[in-house]
Amino acid sequence: MSDPSPWAIEADGLGKQYRRGWALRDCSFRLPAGHICALVGPNGAGKSTFLGAATRLVQPTTGTLRLFGVPVSDPAVLERVSFLAQDKPLYPRFTVAETLRLGRELNPRWDQALAERIVRSGNVPLTARIGTLSGGQRTRVAFALAFGKRPDLLLLDEPMSDLDPLARHEMSGLLMAEAAEHGTTVLMSSHMLSEIEDMCDYLIVLAEGQLRMAGQTDVLVPAHMLVTGVAVDGGVPEELRSRHTLVEARVTGRQFSALVRPQGPLSDSWEAMSPSMEEVLLAYLRSPDAPTLISDEARFDGNRETAA
Amino acid sequence: MDGTGGTLGNGTGGRASTPATGGAAPAAAPERRLLRGLPWLVWRRHRTALSIGLLVTLGACALFAYERIGVMDFLDAKGSSPDAKGELLMEFQDKFNSMFSSDTSFLQFVPALVAIFFGAPLIASEQEHGTVKLVATQSTGRGRWIAATLGLPLAIAVLCTVLLSAAFTWLWSPARELAMFGDWLGGGAFESTGPVLVAMTLFLTSCGIAFGMLIKRVVAAMVATAVFSAATSLIWTEKVRVHLGTLRNYTYPFDGEGPVTPRGSIQIDDWLATADGKLFGINTCTSPEATADACRAKLGIVNRVIQYLDYPQMAGMQWLGAGILLALTVLVLGFVLWQAHRRPL
Repeated sequence: MSDPSPWAIEADGLGKQYRRGWALRDCSFRLPAGHICALVGPNGAGKSTFLGAATRLVQPTTGTLRLFGVPVSDPAVLERVSFLAQDKPLYPRFTVAETLRLGRELNPRWDQALAERIVRSGNVPLTARIGTLSGGQRTRVAFALAFGKRPDLLLLDEPMSDLDPLARHEMSGLLMAEAAEHGTTVLMSSHMLSEIEDMCDYLIVLAEGQLRMAGQTDVLVPAHMLVTGVAVDGGVPEELRSRHTLVEARVTGRQFSALVRPQGPLSDSWEAMSPSMEEVLLAYLRSPDAPTLISDEARFDGNRETAA
Repeated sequence: MDGTGGTLGNGTGGRASTPATGGAAPAAAPERRLLRGLPWLVWRRHRTALSIGLLVTLGACALFAYERIGVMDFLDAKGSSPDAKGELLMEFQDKFNSMFSSDTSFLQFVPALVAIFFGAPLIASEQEHGTVKLVATQSTGRGRWIAATLGLPLAIAVLCTVLLSAAFTWLWSPARELAMFGDWLGGGAFESTGPVLVAMTLFLTSCGIAFGMLIKRVVAAMVATAVFSAATSLIWTEKVRVHLGTLRNYTYPFDGEGPVTPRGSIQIDDWLATADGKLFGINTCTSPEATADACRAKLGIVNRVIQYLDYPQMAGMQWLGAGILLALTVLVLGFVLWQAHRRPL
């Protein structure tokens, strides 16, 4: 315990079953501390369930989850983790100052100066009641509450979804600056692919409750190629399918275009391009059956075996 | 004063921020440092309801004290025991009956009111508005949160009902033989004095809290609590109350003088009885009237029996009833704590 774990999150076979089925199934990965990580997936993919498990709001059915080496069931975890729920619940009758006092009273590591700076920089009056604030101002107060706790890990569930573009820009700037200054690990679920591309250096992709992709963006994205060429028999050439890992393919007229993970040199008869992160993400979101890709650093089981 | 507030304040975090906070916050920070941490949060969240509860309690206590002046004047002038003809009893009713009946009906509603408007929304509103996610993800654990959320409001409910009950007992006990025609069981005094008011409030409120936690919707939980309170009140008066004491029998000859039970006794039942004590319903051998004597002779009925509860039993009955309610309260609160501890709300 004296040696702080380099892993902000270690999930091992994490699963959650509700009455209607599995919301999250057999999810194993790890996230090194200090990254800003995006949690991507279509609605109902299990993102909120995963964040719930990490904040003890959801009890996992199977598997374990460790944050900084401490099991999530240990209350000691609470001090080190901040969570900003999607609807940003705050007490509407509290004033902004009282909301910050809530943070101060309930958190031993509370940083009042930081929280007040965040609130003040948005010109939110401390005496205003939460119920009278605009959406952007409320989000700012919720951010102040989350950051004032001085967490080592900040979990955000679609933090920007209800903000106008200006507030969104401001908040993402704030998030980046604060995370960089304090070395906070951030895990945020988001639908805004462009936003993710700007902010995040780590990716976790979920679809239908299962892990599809996990790892550093500069490892995951270059592992893919966008290949176009002449279609064979109205489909993707067999060579592409058998020699490389096909994520998604589309045929338009006589042309095919495919996102692949090359397992060797690609044939000269096709045109290959490096895809953007958005193109890779879209391809994985569109094809939930695509083979899972987990980078070595993010792989949980593999590394433990080698360590053992 | 400011220096004291600062020293009592929140250690380094609070102090360090003071220079940066500017105008508004330092004035606000030292106030009410009495409450810290979770108790502060619970008080802040419910301060309107809790203040209303405390004010109503103080108001009612003051009213009872004021009413007692008039009652004592009457009793000092005319005595506190009903006379044989019942004139004093009627005079007392003329002057004070409406006062006592409104006092007791208010006090009898207190447990249900607290349960519906305070118990049911206590956890349900946090669940409905999602703020349970906010408090559950602060550094204090769920167990401590639920303990504070239940503990502070229930402590204030106990304080208020103890004061109300004590004040009303003080008003009622000198006039107990006259007030509500001396009916300490059915007249409302049984539930409004002694420990019953406190225990009933705790029991219904913890049931309201449990309903709120399970239903997770404020209005639905309030409705469920209201229905449950009405059912509890019915069962309590019809089935439970009488059985808390021991019925005493008073036997007198069938054709003899009317019953002379001890003063302050509550008559529960009438029977007919044989010489060796076998009981028959009061309507035995009433029709046809012509054969009634023969019928009684055949069954051997020679006595009438009255079953009653005498006044000295009242306190014991109240404590027994309160004990049952408190035991149920402990069960319900234990369930709430266990449920909140076992899995996220």
